[in-house]
This record gives sequence, C-alpha cells and structure tokens, in this order.
Amino acid sequence: MEKMETEVLIIGGGVLGAVVARELSRYKVDVILVEKEADFGWGSTKTNMCIVCQGGDTLEFRPEYHRSKLVWDSIPLMEPLCQELDVPFKRVGELALIRNNEELGKFRKLKSKAEKLGLAGHQFIDQDTLRQMEPHATREAIAALYDPNIAIVDPVRLTIALIENAGQNGVQVMRETEVLNIFQKGNQFEVETNRGSIKCRFIVNAAGTSVEKIARLVNSDDFVLYPIRGYVGILDKKLGDLIKHEIHMRPDAPGQMNILTPSIHGNLFFGTTMQPARRGDYSTTRRIAQIGLQNVRKIIPDISEKDIIHSFAGFLMFRNWEVGWHESVVQASRKVSRFISICMGYPGVSAAPATGREVAELLRREGLRLESNLRFSPFRKASPIFNQLSEEQQRELIAQDSRYGHVVCRCETVTEGEIVEAVRRGATTLDGVKFRTRAGMGRCQGGFCTPRVAKILGRELGLPEEKITKKGRKSRILLYKTKELLGGEL
Amino acid sequence: MKFSDVDVAVIGSGPAGMAAAIKAKQEGAEHVLILERQEQLGGLLHQCVHNGFGLLYFGQDLTGPEYACRFVEKVRDLGIEVLLETMVTQISVDRKLTAVNSREGPIHLQPKSIVLAMGCRERSRGQLSIPGTRPAGIFTAGTAQRLVNVEGFIPGKKVVILGSGDIGMIMARRLSLEGVEVKGVVEILPYVGGLIRNEVQCLHDFDIPLLLEHTVTQIHGEQRVEAVTIAKVDKNKRPIDGTEQNIECDTLLLSVGLIPENELSRMAGVDLDPLVGGPVVDERRETNIPGIFAGGNVVHVHDLVDDVSWEAEIAGAWAAKLSQKGDFEKKGKIILRPGRNIRSVVPQTISGQSDVTFYIRVKEMEEKVGLRIGDFYHRAFRVVKPSEMIKVDLLQKELNLLKGNLSELVVECQKGE
Repeated sequence: MEKMETEVLIIGGGVLGAVVARELSRYKVDVILVEKEADFGWGSTKTNMCIVCQGGDTLEFRPEYHRSKLVWDSIPLMEPLCQELDVPFKRVGELALIRNNEELGKFRKLKSKAEKLGLAGHQFIDQDTLRQMEPHATREAIAALYDPNIAIVDPVRLTIALIENAGQNGVQVMRETEVLNIFQKGNQFEVETNRGSIKCRFIVNAAGTSVEKIARLVNSDDFVLYPIRGYVGILDKKLGDLIKHEIHMRPDAPGQMNILTPSIHGNLFFGTTMQPARRGDYSTTRRIAQIGLQNVRKIIPDISEKDIIHSFAGFLMFRNWEVGWHESVVQASRKVSRFISICMGYPGVSAAPATGREVAELLRREGLRLESNLRFSPFRKASPIFNQLSEEQQRELIAQDSRYGHVVCRCETVTEGEIVEAVRRGATTLDGVKFRTRAGMGRCQGGFCTPRVAKILGRELGLPEEKITKKGRKSRILLYKTKELLGGEL
Repeated sequence: MKFSDVDVAVIGSGPAGMAAAIKAKQEGAEHVLILERQEQLGGLLHQCVHNGFGLLYFGQDLTGPEYACRFVEKVRDLGIEVLLETMVTQISVDRKLTAVNSREGPIHLQPKSIVLAMGCRERSRGQLSIPGTRPAGIFTAGTAQRLVNVEGFIPGKKVVILGSGDIGMIMARRLSLEGVEVKGVVEILPYVGGLIRNEVQCLHDFDIPLLLEHTVTQIHGEQRVEAVTIAKVDKNKRPIDGTEQNIECDTLLLSVGLIPENELSRMAGVDLDPLVGGPVVDERRETNIPGIFAGGNVVHVHDLVDDVSWEAEIAGAWAAKLSQKGDFEKKGKIILRPGRNIRSVVPQTISGQSDVTFYIRVKEMEEKVGLRIGDFYHRAFRVVKPSEMIKVDLLQKELNLLKGNLSELVVECQKGE
C-alpha cells in the first residue's frame, strides 16, 4: 500500500469536488482528489436535468438561503468558465407555462420578487407569442413567464473538463479510490483508502450522497440530509426540434416538478418526481415512470411512450425545515478544524462556480495559505467531436489519424478516434466512454457499439475484453469465453 | 470508380442491400455501389450461425453466413462496387449523399437513385422503461448473438430472456448449447412473438421454460444483474399484484421487438408509416421522395430473410429502371387502408399499373377468417397471427379489374368465413 501526503484532500469527483480542485489549482497548494467510482461525475452530477438555473427552480427565489447567493453569484461566472474549459454552454431561455389566473397571480409575485433581487429579464408573454415560440406546447397554457437567461450544459463534460484543467495545473486525481476511515493525528488527517493512506492537513468533503458518512468519520455531525430520489426520462433526438426553450409547469401534485428541457446533445430531458428513497438506490419504478410520462404530456401532449430512449433516477439531498429544505451545506465543521463539507440541493451545477471560490475562502480561513500559482492556465481544450466538425476539419482530422473516419457508434456518429482519445484522457469503462463521447447514448442504447467499444477499450488499455466493465468494480460485461462453461466436454 | 457517376447507391449490405444491388445491376444499371458500415458484406447474417435461411429463396436450408455468401459471390461476379467501413451520414431531399470512411474521409455522391436497405435495430431496455437498477448484464438478444457467435464471449451463466422474438429464442438455444442455464423465456403476450418452428426447435427441444403472459417488473443488482422479478400480467398487459417471483440470474436478454432504422430516411424527407416504422412505399418500393427506394426490414420487419431479399429486389429493379429513364413521375395513386384486425399493409400505396407483392400483418390472433383486399381479392385462413406475415402476390392483370378512379382499397379480416 502506498503512502501519500498532500495539503488538501478533496473527497468526491462530482461537479463540486471538481470545481474546488480547479479553484485550488490557481494557488500553490498540493491537492489530491479521490473519487470512489471509475470516472468523474457519476453521482448526482450525471443524474441531472442539465439546466443552469437562477435559483428560481422551486418557483420561489429565496434570498434567505445561502445557496441562492451561490447560484446568483455563479450566474456571471458560468459562461466564461465554460468558454475557458471548451465546454458547450447554451442559453435556451425558460418558459413557465401559466394555465389559469391563480397561477398567473403566483408568477406575478415571483416576477416581482426576482426583479427586487436584481435578476433581470423576466417577462410575461401572451398566448399568441407562446404559440410562436413553442408551437407544440399545450393549448391549455394561457400565457407564460419567460426568462431568457436560463441555459443548459452537460454536467459530466463540465466536471471532466474541470478535472482535466485541475490536472494540468498540478492537482493529482485518483479514481476507484474509496475513503474507508479518517484518523486525526495532531494537525494532520490520515485518510485510509482502498489504495493506501493519504496524509493531509485539510479535507474538502464533497462526497455527494455520502457526505454525512464521510463527516461522521471525523465525528462531525453538523448537518442532517434527507435523500430524495428524482426520476428523469430522455427522449429520442428525433424530437429534438419539438421545443426550443426549457419549459416547465407548476406541478399538479406535491413531490413533483414538471420540466421538459432541451439538452446540449439534442435529446429532450423530462422530469421529475421526487420521493424519499434509500441512499444509493438508483432504481426506477413503473409507477414513477408513468407519472413522469403523464406529466410531460401536460406540457407537450404529442409525446409518446415510444419516444423514450432511456430513463434514470438520481438523488437530491434535502435538509430540514429548520434551516430550510432547499438549503445547501457549504461549511467548515464546527467540531473539527480544517474540515469543510459541501453538498447542494438541486442547483449543484448552477452553484458550482461560486461554490469553488467560497470553499477556497473557507480553507483560507481555516489556515490554508493561498499563494497564486503563476503557472496556472485556465484553459483546457476539449477533444474533437467528429460530428460537430466542418467537413474540412473532418478531412484534416482523418488525414492525421484515420481512426476518425471509422464510425463506431452509429446513432451518435462517434468515431474510433474519439473513443481512443477518451481512453487516453482517462476513460476505463464502457460508461466512461459513453459519458465522454456519447457512444452508446443514442437510440439503440449501445446495442450496436457495445461489443466494438469493449474491444477498443481492451486494446487501448492492454486488457483482455473479459476484464472490461460497464462502470468499474464488479460490473464486468462479458463473464466467460465461448466453450468455457462446457468444461472438459469438448 | 468516380463517385460522381453512380446510378444506383444501396445503403446497407445485408440480405436486403445485396439483393437490391444485384437486381439493379441485372436490370441494367451500370454503376451500382453498395455502402456498408461494417468491415464485410452481409450485415447481421454473419452472426446468425443457425440454419433456416434460404428455404424459400434457394430451396435449401442454409446458415446466415452461407446465405450471405451466395449473395457476396454474385456481388463480386457482377462487378458491383463496394465501399466497406463506410458510414452514410446524410441524405438530402435531392438525393445528395454524404458518407465517411478512414480512407477517403468525407465522400459526396449524387446517385441517380438510392435504395435504403439499412435494416432494423432492436428495442432496448430504455425504450421499455423496465424498472429497476442499471447494472451490467443487460443485452439485446442480437448484441448477445454477436458477442457469442462473432466475438467469442458468453455474457453470463444464468440467463433470463424477456420477449419471445426469434433472436431471443435462437439465443436461448445457442446459450444452452454453450452450457448456460437459460432460466426461462418470458413473454407478455399469450403466444410467442417469433416463428412456431423456433418455439419448437429452440425452446421445447431444449426444455427451456416459456412463461406466457408474464413480464419482467424489476431488475436487481448494483454492479451486475443479480436477479429479476417477473410477474403474471392481466389482459391489459399490466402486472398482477401478488404474482411476482424473483429469478436469480446474472444476465437479462431482451428480444422485445425490432424497429426499422430510418434516421437517414427521415433526413431525406421520406414519409414514414407509423404502423410499421418504415417508409411509405408504393408497389415499386419507391418512397415519397422521387428516386429513393427502400426494401427489406428498413420498410417493415419481415419474418423470413427470404422475403427481405425478395422485397429488396423489387426496390433494386425499379431503382435501376427509373435511373435509366430518369423518370420518377408517379402515376395514379391508390391508398391501401388497414381495416378490421389489420395492423399494417406494405406497400401502402399502389398505382394499379404494375404487379404488386403485398405484405400484411394482422393485429390479433384470430381463427377462421377471410382476408380481403377491396372486393377483388379474397383468401380464407384457418388462423391468422401477428407473428406470421401474410404475403399476397397480385399481377397487373388482376389489378385491371379495379375500377377507373378508385382512390382507396380496404384490407381487412372478415370473421367466420
């Protein structure tokens, strides 16, 4: 077992851990980030609606919440961040559909609240304008509240970009590294992982749904979280032009949010129902899927069950009524020095840029010296995405590396070159390749490309194909070779 | 060859694409080009190592690769041009075609006519919205078939198969032969989805349990599939509470339907028939876009490969004829309307001026019925089933009986005949 030492250990490679890593890489600080999964952003980050919001997502802007401040402070930071990191960011705007006068009254209040808080741009639009903007939206809508500022990103790509940029600037990242225990020794922590122990002076606990579990390892119990499971469905790209804006509607039942949104890659996402569930149980249920479909049909009646290509569940961590259900955790432990915990409700991605800065400040207050890293470069280049290149660029790329002319995933037109590059940058699993390149994310859901991607992964990683996993650990895809189960019979 | 002077471009080289290309060449098209995304001709036939291919077309019982081989030889002998490992990425309304491969990079073609022969894909877990976790070990039957027969891997040791489509039943047998414990084939309908011969030869002969009117209601396992819950379903295909049972397994195969692959067709502005998922075609298998034809499983999913090839030949022949004449003008148009207990009819329109091969699928199993097309064709059936497509060949002279200005023909099953 290795013994490692660092100043700051970040636990968790979701969007929040990644943004902290990248923020700290601006300074001359030794940082290690550990992630228990085989790739980054596989917890709440990936199970996300991809919306960059303004903190009005619960249909109420709440200045009393600290997390609202983090979201608002992040608004001017997100787009430049995406530009620096070469990550697509698209301002689609939002339409909140209004079906009756009661709802109109509620949205009026919401609008004036937003204006008081200095959030510009909200405007009411009438039914005719709504028809022009969204011809497929339900005829029940009599008007809509339009917010032109709402944007979409790909949260996993953003996370990977943050990690890559942090890596370029000196942060060390370790995957499939799970924290098992934490010992406090003098002014140091000794963190025991499945890959050896790591000595550090500061800990940033960004462990997502495990954030309390990690905090309890140092007997810090400043907060309680309630895991709430949400359901999201993905629609076929052929419906990609059905809507232009993120559209939502006030839910007709508690425990639901009714949202339909374009995504960066052309599919539509819809959701979501929310219910308490056992932490880490990402299973979906038939009833919830049915409710999800019923709800999205209230927004766009034309959507059919056949248009769904995939669905998934994810967790939002809620707090309690005392601090406010939707409040975040971004705090230094009251009991243990140099131990910061962060966990968001649902605007985790939207609040990430300001959260990164705030955590750096909290660390400084806990005694970390932040001296500028003069070699810091904020820029990171994304790998080529073949189907988004001009034909001239495609030709050039294929001339340099002919594997870019070999399409492996037919639904998303992902080439072998892109998969090889994803592996070079760190993908080790089928899901890793999927989230980095979209191979397997299309309408056939990997039916065609799974054997081919497994083969490329095996070749590039120097592993036999039977060792290739879907998502690390015990998720092997191919358990045996042919004839192997027949024993000595042949 | 010059890409600029292609007469007939065929997209796909499975049993449809090769048959269409061969026919086009035989009908006099000079430059026939096949574009195939895989490294060899034959499409999915390579992974279908079982027999049962070509019984009608060749009068012989062949395996998939053998069936492919017959066509491959002809493609070679006739001098049909082939681009392998070449992905067609775009077709425009005016038949401009863009493709890409490692050697040439992006390629542009403007063929005189195009035959769509992309076949179909399998319905996935995501489309069924099967509840549960998302572990490794869930495959469509066709993916598993490729893994076993081409790549040389066995996905798992204990397998449950959801759906009794042909590939699912064939994989049940194939995996049994590999020493895999196939715990059962679970079918939501009261009858199997595939051919009777496969039910007998693949399930009964191997003592593989068939659970009709059952479905998978939950998938268990975080990393790898550990079990599935199955339940009996009611008449509306809804699981009945209290009938759930857990089956321990490490793999779930899905054989729950095939979907014609028409993303390129959609790009080209081809009208699709929601009943079959493929292009609306006339008896020449021409789509609404002049010069774009389609044949085989891209139009509608067939039961037998022989019909796939035959239908594609119709498309290939007309693509060749019309590319020479440069005349894609449509003549009169009669619409075929599915009537009582008819799910789909292909072709969806006819001119009434040339021979027609109809493929008809019923909605529900029914005994003692008469199939009618308008009032000039009638055939009695002891039983009709959705899993068995009905083929009707009509000659032009039979169609001459049609009255002059007819615009619609109803196809229907009549009870008690």
